[in-house]
Amino acid sequence: MADELLCVEDLHTEFWRGDGTVYAVNGASFSVAPGETLGIVGESGSGKSVSVLSIVGLVRGNGQVTGGTAKFMGKDLLKLRRRQLEDIRGRDIGMIFQDPMSSLNPTMRIGDQIMEGMLSHQYTNRKGAFNRTLQLLDEVGIPEGRARFRSYPHEFSGGMRQRAMIAMAVACEPQLLIADEPTTALDVTVQTQILVLLQELQQKQRMSIVLITHDFGVATNVCDRIIVMYAGKVMESASVAEFIARPAHPYTIGLKRSVIEVGTQAHQLKAVPGVATTLMAPPHNCPFADRCQFVTDRCRAEVPELRPLSEGHYVACHRAEEVLAEAGATAVEGATADVR
Amino acid sequence: MGLVKFLAKRIVAIVVTISLVVGVGYVLIYISPGTFYSAANMGQGLSQLQVSDPALYNQYLNSLNSRYGLNQPLIEQVGKYVWHSLTFNFGTSFENPSIPIIHQLAQAVPISSILAFGAIALAVVLGVPLGVLAALKRNTWLDSALTTLSMVGQAIPSFVLAVLLVLFFGVWFPGILPVNGWGTVGEAVLPIVALSAGNVAAVTRYTRGSMVEALRQDYVRTAEAKGVPWRRVVLRHALRNSLVAVVTVIGPTFAFTIISTLWVEQIFTIPGLGTLLAQAFPNKDVPMAITSIYVLCLLVMGMNLLVDLLYRVLDPRVKLQ
Amino acid sequence: MAVITAPGAIAVRTPRHHSQLWLAWRRYKRNKLAVTGAVVVLIFVVIGVIGPWVAPQNYAQANFLYANHAPSLRFPFGTDGLGHDMLSQVIWSFRNALEIAFGASLVSFLIGLALGLWAGLRGGLADMAVMRLVDFMFAFPNYFLSLFLVVAMGRSLLPILLAIAIPGWAGYARLVRGLVLGMRNGEMVEAARALGATQRHIARKYLLPNVTNSIFVAIAFGVPFDLLVMASLSLVGLGLRPPLPSFGNMIAQAGANVLGYPWLMYFPAAIFAVILLAFLFVADGLQEALDPKAGEGGRVPRSRRLLQIARGRSPAVGGARL
Repeated sequence: MADELLCVEDLHTEFWRGDGTVYAVNGASFSVAPGETLGIVGESGSGKSVSVLSIVGLVRGNGQVTGGTAKFMGKDLLKLRRRQLEDIRGRDIGMIFQDPMSSLNPTMRIGDQIMEGMLSHQYTNRKGAFNRTLQLLDEVGIPEGRARFRSYPHEFSGGMRQRAMIAMAVACEPQLLIADEPTTALDVTVQTQILVLLQELQQKQRMSIVLITHDFGVATNVCDRIIVMYAGKVMESASVAEFIARPAHPYTIGLKRSVIEVGTQAHQLKAVPGVATTLMAPPHNCPFADRCQFVTDRCRAEVPELRPLSEGHYVACHRAEEVLAEAGATAVEGATADVR
Repeated sequence: MGLVKFLAKRIVAIVVTISLVVGVGYVLIYISPGTFYSAANMGQGLSQLQVSDPALYNQYLNSLNSRYGLNQPLIEQVGKYVWHSLTFNFGTSFENPSIPIIHQLAQAVPISSILAFGAIALAVVLGVPLGVLAALKRNTWLDSALTTLSMVGQAIPSFVLAVLLVLFFGVWFPGILPVNGWGTVGEAVLPIVALSAGNVAAVTRYTRGSMVEALRQDYVRTAEAKGVPWRRVVLRHALRNSLVAVVTVIGPTFAFTIISTLWVEQIFTIPGLGTLLAQAFPNKDVPMAITSIYVLCLLVMGMNLLVDLLYRVLDPRVKLQ
Repeated sequence: MAVITAPGAIAVRTPRHHSQLWLAWRRYKRNKLAVTGAVVVLIFVVIGVIGPWVAPQNYAQANFLYANHAPSLRFPFGTDGLGHDMLSQVIWSFRNALEIAFGASLVSFLIGLALGLWAGLRGGLADMAVMRLVDFMFAFPNYFLSLFLVVAMGRSLLPILLAIAIPGWAGYARLVRGLVLGMRNGEMVEAARALGATQRHIARKYLLPNVTNSIFVAIAFGVPFDLLVMASLSLVGLGLRPPLPSFGNMIAQAGANVLGYPWLMYFPAAIFAVILLAFLFVADGLQEALDPKAGEGGRVPRSRRLLQIARGRSPAVGGARL
């Protein structure tokens, strides 16, 4: 694993609330190879955003990373001081967030916001930063860069704002781009444009991308590899092809079934029953047990560890083999008969 | 151009409001019991005249009535009065018929303005950094200390504080700072402190609140994600956006402060607008009473206009309307 | 069962016997400042009511033999230049302050209620007229109107009360009108209507609690504000006409003599400040208790609220009244 760009192991993050401690991330492990696009999929509250924010030291409020390592280019990010992290953020790791409106400073010109990162990292001088900003605006598909440089965020449309965010994130040519639900707040047509733009930039700059999304469809289209998170744990990890062909975790299967595609009839849809829970204690059993149709006594007593199922396919389920067998059968059936 | 239209609209609104205030004020004094110039107003000589020569006394009254236009119908009087006010033709007061009101204002308005603006300036200079500090050290002893202090500071009226300052520097520790009069820099210190204590507290609390809110905003996280140094994140991103909120309270704060100035002047015996007003109202010195209110309204509304313009500068999203 | 407290509020699962009022009381009790404030206010009210019977002297009784005495056993708060016993003056001031502050707030509210209801229910031209008038009232410091009103009506108890009350209606009118309009068009009400709730049920279950709470809070903020205005009138020579005692008169008079007779200042100023603080804490606590939506989490919103109180505008009343 020496050639991994980012390697996260056994990450733990907790939040303190008035009524106790929320265990948001409970031993998540994953890695990103250079040039790879990793998708992190899960429901809201599954800890996917928090785990990534933990790595770059951006957990807010009463949250704190309580354990684990996150090796990035040879350094453990979790052990760095604030100044050292500031050096890495924006220069080696770029980030874009869900809501481009609230993520842009409303009182600062777009151009200044794009330049700010470059100037903070002494990436180039003022003149250079200005020219690079114009070039970036062009690259992310914002026409009339010179005029747009002086615009404020509220004068942009949602898609344009997200393009500006992307320009900010890739300004210093980072090795890793973290995209936290970058398309969730956007119109469907714009979503695709943004995803295409991300892919273009990735090829041009040869960076890795971590794409956090709750949309399985988006993840399978864009990513090389996907991990599924639930209750702050990685439930399954595999290549996209493997995910499409042989999903082995009941939760993954549930997520896949609830994807709405064009032409799907309501009775073909199957929602994952129950709601995602926030853990107020460290997990002592399979956190998905209560919602799982394959549940056994063992699931209620023992935490399933992430284990290899086949080459490059990892799953955290006691009954993964059986799930896989049965799911394969239903999939074949499903082609002929509706699952009612 | 939006700005010109905005200014024109606001100035019309100010003129209408002030005309109404002046008109209503005039009518209220007009219907009040007693004549405008009682014996107390016009001095001893006149009441003697009333006894010794009633005819001459009435003649004198009539001449006064026509001089001040009091023998005209009320509506005409009000209209004329409003017009004269708007054209800054204030005439002379009943109390001091020899000195034009405008001269008295020329002395009093700068004094009250120095006090009020000084208090606001001090409040901003002290309150904003304290508020930022409290927000950054949220939920520590420093934060609670600042919060408690500013809560009390805000709730104690300026004139009570003024009184306490007079007790302190006049009775218990005399000689450090002068506690009454006007003319030296030292004499401005205590009144400004009394006036600004509440404002410092208010600005501190308000800055703290909006800073806490701003620090939670996504754009602050974005700035951090860009690797912007923390100092700059706080100042350029969080504080810059908090100031938008802080500026909006300067308007009402100024209105309250200029009124408090009227009270505090009384306690420190400062010859500002408050002193003119406190002489004019109880004595029903119509021209002086209405003119002082007129000037105060003008100050308050002018300041509000200024704040709105400043708000526009600070927040590009705001459209003038 | 789920108790819906306000539009946008989270439905809270509570046992049936936990009524709105009970919950409000529980929230209020948690706020130590508010409880302390309530105790002080209670003492203030009690003294105000029984004052005439416990005061050692009548407020108007001057005794030149004992002029300007420092505090002593016989005159615990000292005496002023006319030999008035300051303790008695303070006790009588409680009564006047009580009557004027509560009375003025009530009158302001009643005027505002009437105009607000009229505007909200009638709509159209009536609404426009009232709202224009409200705009006018908000455009300049209403304190100035109080000054003119005192001159017009005189300086005894009722005129002063009215002079403070009359300019204060605009905030209440706007509040009431807003509530009336919200009643008609609120999402919560529409949702209830869609579920088939009757008009009467909607009014009782949803509107009344919200309306009464907001109004209650608004009045709670109004009282300390009126106290402040009342005292400040004395400073510009328009307070209660002596010998009627009031905190403003005592403070103004003591201010003039503070170098010679400082004790005249100690008790009136300190007591007045304490009363004002107590009322503010009570109002703040009430807001937090009755309007949990506004006070959720407490600390951040409270700073704004206190600022607005100090500026003479409560968020519930929603605008500058001074």
